[in-house]
Amino acid sequence: MIDTQPTPGPATTPQGQGEPPGRGRRSKATLSRSNERFALALLLPALIFVAALIAYPLFVAIQLSLTPGSFSALRETTGGVSLEHFVAVFSDRATLDELGRTAVYVVGTIVPAFAAGLMIALLLRHRFAGRRWLRSLVLLPWAVPSVAASAIFLWMLDGSLGIVNKVLSALGLIDGPVAWYSSPDTAMAAVIVPTVWKQFPFFAMILLAALQTVPNDLYESAKVDGASRWRQFTTVTWPGIRGAAYAALVIGTLGVYREFDFIYPLTRGGPNDVTSTLAISIYREAFQFSNMGFASALGIVSTLLAAVFVIFGGRIMARNNL
Amino acid sequence: MIGTKRTAKAITVGRFVASLVIAAMVIFPLYWMLLTALEPAAAMLSPVIELLPTEGASFDAFVSAFLDMPTLLWLRNSALITIGATILSVFVSILAGYSLSRAHGAGHQAMGLTLLLARMIPGTLLVIPLYALFLNVGLVNNLWSLILIKTTIIVPFTTWMLKAFFDGIPRELEDSAYVDGASRLRALRSIVLPLSGPGIVAAVTYSAVLAWGDFLYARTLLTADAKWPVTLGIVSFFGDNGTQWNSVMAVALVAIVPMLLLFLFTERYLISGLTAGAVKG
Repeated sequence: MIDTQPTPGPATTPQGQGEPPGRGRRSKATLSRSNERFALALLLPALIFVAALIAYPLFVAIQLSLTPGSFSALRETTGGVSLEHFVAVFSDRATLDELGRTAVYVVGTIVPAFAAGLMIALLLRHRFAGRRWLRSLVLLPWAVPSVAASAIFLWMLDGSLGIVNKVLSALGLIDGPVAWYSSPDTAMAAVIVPTVWKQFPFFAMILLAALQTVPNDLYESAKVDGASRWRQFTTVTWPGIRGAAYAALVIGTLGVYREFDFIYPLTRGGPNDVTSTLAISIYREAFQFSNMGFASALGIVSTLLAAVFVIFGGRIMARNNL
Repeated sequence: MIGTKRTAKAITVGRFVASLVIAAMVIFPLYWMLLTALEPAAAMLSPVIELLPTEGASFDAFVSAFLDMPTLLWLRNSALITIGATILSVFVSILAGYSLSRAHGAGHQAMGLTLLLARMIPGTLLVIPLYALFLNVGLVNNLWSLILIKTTIIVPFTTWMLKAFFDGIPRELEDSAYVDGASRLRALRSIVLPLSGPGIVAAVTYSAVLAWGDFLYARTLLTADAKWPVTLGIVSFFGDNGTQWNSVMAVALVAIVPMLLLFLFTERYLISGLTAGAVKG
């Protein structure tokens, strides 16, 4: 309820000057009703966008997932309701493979990106010469379009002319050139690398801001107690940033879970589907294999999985009083 | 004493080395991109690793990106999508963020939470019905489809970001404006907004980076190459045998520069703004 604006009438009399409390409360109620309307009006444009372009499409996606048959556009659908696409999603062995690959991609990205982000945040917390420009520099990949980042790594990891192969063969670490993106053994690692490069500044930014809220006197008293640096980290730093760290991990994980802009341009889910995560499979089913019903069912299942993860993550955060 | 001095020195050195390593990790890919764009195509065939520009270096690849390829058209499409989505989403989220910051009714906050939950749906699922819907209303291959969709994706985040920012502005300032007879919209415009510069700058940067970098929605909804944003232009080079890497790097670099400039000018506002939205939201 908004209680900021005095309206003409009784409410404008200064409060606490011998006015009966009941009367003040009543006028406040009328006041807040008009303010509630104002607040709702301000929220309305945002709600219209979300209703029209997220909620309604989600409803259409549910409809598509329940529409029998194979179709690539709305007008091709025939009537009827069927669970055949969901049955197909759950009975298809590929779904389990995609889930496994998604887990590898998410963990393989989030763990190094979070570790790098935390290290950088801890480093940038201290004052030292050049800290300002190092901070700008380190956060820079955040602003680089994913597709442009993909282009750089596609070139650096190019099978015949890429710098990575040149350096590794010069060092004698590989016998012949490695086709990073077209070999099933290396393709997943090769899509993870650019994702980490783009993702770690997000963790660095959030952890850096969280570190700024940890009071300095806590470190001083820890030092007086003779705490080692590691102990200072576990008793002062980590408790101070844990809440932000968990929130960032949940948001970051959700982002990588649905990632499309790295994998699809780089490998289109190949070779031999080894980089076909859930997000990629949904897209390929819809737009490559023209199977919108199955794709929608797979998308809904993966959304529900994300929801379970968020609820689970929220539970952990609540249990730890975060 | 000597021991602690030595530790302190070791830590300084360690910090310096760590900074260099991190800086190299970030900068090398971008540097390599620039170097490749400057070199003639023949130089790439050499097995020798050249870390500095060779004698043959030139801006030819950049010139050819604009003369021989539709890079300018791609940039124009990207700019229109980005400007449209940024203006719309910042405007909509200023209103919504202010509303969520000042009104605390349960239903109201529930709606705010719905905004947030909307972010959980994967883009690859959402794009299926959106494609079907935009096809039906004839907005496929229209830049407006991208502007509207990107706005919808951006608004939930920037709303919570600006809400956290508005929370930090004391209400007493608005109260005194009301006493002077200002309307509620006027108080927002003339009291709150002038104090919200850093928050709005952060929201603008976030929106622009997200709109400019889009690939998924553009790839699905803008199939005619005359409507492509620069991200689709870049990807159109991928997978060719005998890719002209200097051209690809030149176009990709041109696509990065506007966001880098924006980022460098607004970076100091981003940390507080982005994190407020991400963590508190």
